[in-house]
Amino acid sequence: MTISDPSLDSVDSPDDDSDASGDSPAAARRPIDPERIGLGGLLLAGLLLVLVGTRLVTGVAAVIALALTLGTIVMLIVTAVLGGPEARRKIAPYGLLKPGMLWLALFYLAPLVTLLRNSLSTLPSRFAVKAEFDWNFGNYSTAFTDFGGQFQRGFGYAAVATILTILLGYPLAYVIAFRGGKYRGLLLGLIIIPFFTSYLIRTIAWQSLLADTGPIPNVLDAVGLQPLLDAVGIMDGDKILNTPAAVIGGLTYNFLPFMALPIYVSLEKINLNLVDAAKDLYSGSVRAFFTIVFPLSLPGVFAGTLLTFIPASGDFVNQQYLGNPNTSVIGQSIQNQFLVQNNLPVASAMSFVLMAIITVFVVIYSRFFGTDDLA
Amino acid sequence: MNTPNKNTPNNDFSRMAMSRRRLLARAGVIGAAGMSLPALLAACGGSDDASPTTDAGSGAEPAGSDAPTAGGGGGSLFFENWPEYVDPTEDDLTGTVDRFMAESGIDMNYAETYNDNVEYFAKIQPLLGTGKTIDPDIIAPTSWLVGRLIALGWLDKLPIDQVPNVANLRPDLMNPSWDPTGEYSLPWQTGFAGIAYNIDATGRELNSTADLFDPEFNGKIGMLTEMRDTMGLLMLAEGVDISTVSTFDAAASAFEKLEAAKNDGQIRRFTGNDYLNDLSTGNFAACVGWSGDVVQLAIENPSIRFVIPEEGGTSWADAMVMPKGAANRDAAAQWMNFCYDPVQAAQITAWVQYVSPVAGVQAELEKIDPELAVNPLLFPDDATVARTFAFANLAEDVEAEYDARFAEITGA
Repeated sequence: MTISDPSLDSVDSPDDDSDASGDSPAAARRPIDPERIGLGGLLLAGLLLVLVGTRLVTGVAAVIALALTLGTIVMLIVTAVLGGPEARRKIAPYGLLKPGMLWLALFYLAPLVTLLRNSLSTLPSRFAVKAEFDWNFGNYSTAFTDFGGQFQRGFGYAAVATILTILLGYPLAYVIAFRGGKYRGLLLGLIIIPFFTSYLIRTIAWQSLLADTGPIPNVLDAVGLQPLLDAVGIMDGDKILNTPAAVIGGLTYNFLPFMALPIYVSLEKINLNLVDAAKDLYSGSVRAFFTIVFPLSLPGVFAGTLLTFIPASGDFVNQQYLGNPNTSVIGQSIQNQFLVQNNLPVASAMSFVLMAIITVFVVIYSRFFGTDDLA
Repeated sequence: MNTPNKNTPNNDFSRMAMSRRRLLARAGVIGAAGMSLPALLAACGGSDDASPTTDAGSGAEPAGSDAPTAGGGGGSLFFENWPEYVDPTEDDLTGTVDRFMAESGIDMNYAETYNDNVEYFAKIQPLLGTGKTIDPDIIAPTSWLVGRLIALGWLDKLPIDQVPNVANLRPDLMNPSWDPTGEYSLPWQTGFAGIAYNIDATGRELNSTADLFDPEFNGKIGMLTEMRDTMGLLMLAEGVDISTVSTFDAAASAFEKLEAAKNDGQIRRFTGNDYLNDLSTGNFAACVGWSGDVVQLAIENPSIRFVIPEEGGTSWADAMVMPKGAANRDAAAQWMNFCYDPVQAAQITAWVQYVSPVAGVQAELEKIDPELAVNPLLFPDDATVARTFAFANLAEDVEAEYDARFAEITGA
């Protein structure tokens, strides 16, 4: 295969692939489009890495596949070196994409394919190490029928917690961004500081704070709020620990920084002259906020919502320590199926259903709020 | 993890420090329903070690904080055991591991990284299940898991002929249901599951499993995630002999009772070893608990009581076994022999306060701690023993049914 033919560069327009099957002898000898080499090499290498990563090819075949992967990289370099400036210009994006794409192929796509295969497999015996792939769609109906309640609670708690983090996080970010002055850095630091402690420890600490004889129920009781909170269903009699409210509260507490920080970033970028201009035009503060500041900060709210809702819907730590047996959520069920029941196929199916539902939510959500200028 | 709670009676800091030690005693840092984030667990454990209590214990171990995969080979005996399950070298006392190393000249790596039966099984399954070996020479799973490992063929027979002190094994532990030939396991410690309660919260003495279903305690009852202990108690209350049970049907009504209690909100939480915290703060009025834990807790907080219910309680054992292909058989035999010497076993009992599997410990313990030597939960009388039953070794498919139903109810 000869690749170098600089004479053709001048007639080959970058976007024109339609003349690839030209009728002149010169066109027949024309080198393969560098873009195709780039794209083909990228896809081939990605596919090979997925095959190796999922162990669909093993042993000698895996070595050959890895050698081929390496070959596509060499091919890219050879094409670039021999192809002249135009070819290099075309091939550069693929070369730059390659490390990231190959990383994703091996560490994201391959595990995903493995999970998908597992979710369609059957365990030959209870303690079998390997599930056998046999298109067992029954795992998916098990996931839906046996764990419907856990799915509902998982998403319900996450949704309520996400709304609460917006209600708490937005004013917090607003005050820091616009009223923080020279203390901005310090205030942001204070949001981050709890992260120096383990997530688990922070959640377990709430067990002590919310315990029946702990400080929070005592204070609520002393100020006479307990009957009210009991009536609206936040407290269950005299207890708040091990209720749905405690689970949602734990999620809200743990995910608040993930909401506040993106909102802060988008608020901080807003040019305050716009607000001044609005006021010059006789807009009140409230109207200026809702027509200027809030729309401009939506990308932050959007990012914060994703960062909060997605992990919160799969979270099981808060339910584990702050919930009760009637508040179990899907994340807990998945880890139980994986590690207690040793039921890899059903656990995989549940994970896939969870991912699918989250994806649908995110797609619908992004239709409404848009991601065009996601901060 | 244990924020001292000023509002609870008898709840000063020194007692919390003590309860923390017991909190770690059996099921590790967090034994709650299949808690499975090893990194988070490690983080939690690490933080505990850094706490200012002087009895952090494992810090004095020669290799207590090693990762489970560390060490092991090279002729050094590797025992992976539950946390806080052997007397450490502290103050002016030399721990059992150090005494053994000094006496035998064997280098020993004693790791306290066995936190949870189910989690540990999930960790070793991919290795032993495909014929590979694991690092530890000895591990101490609970009896039901020993039975499962034997059935799966993942254990080596113990070098019993090199352990003359095996003659000191308590007669009732010879040829147990989980290891009918007694060739694969040697109990490390044993104990009972019964009802633990906080009399400040109950207002009365309890003596029956039925008390756990008293509507007066709605939302104040705890049950263990260890299926055989929770179900064992409920099945005994239904009149089922758990030491001979072999079908799922026998447990069906007990499962229904558990499910109804869970749906009614009677059960506050299914816990691992963290029940001690809930019990001492009064979140639990009563719960299913383990004897050794409560012995220690009761010394510091007289409100905490333990009773083996009149319907019967369960007895369990954590037994030393050697995983298939374990390297240091001779050293392991010497260690087992050492621990089955009543003089040494009494040292362990004095610290861990469970029921020793070694006969003759009581006489030795009298010399160390006469008060402990007459504690009925360490040295149960015949009437108590007659009321406790070991859960039968379930067939694999039956066990699968139990586990699935239990998981469904515990809300996972």
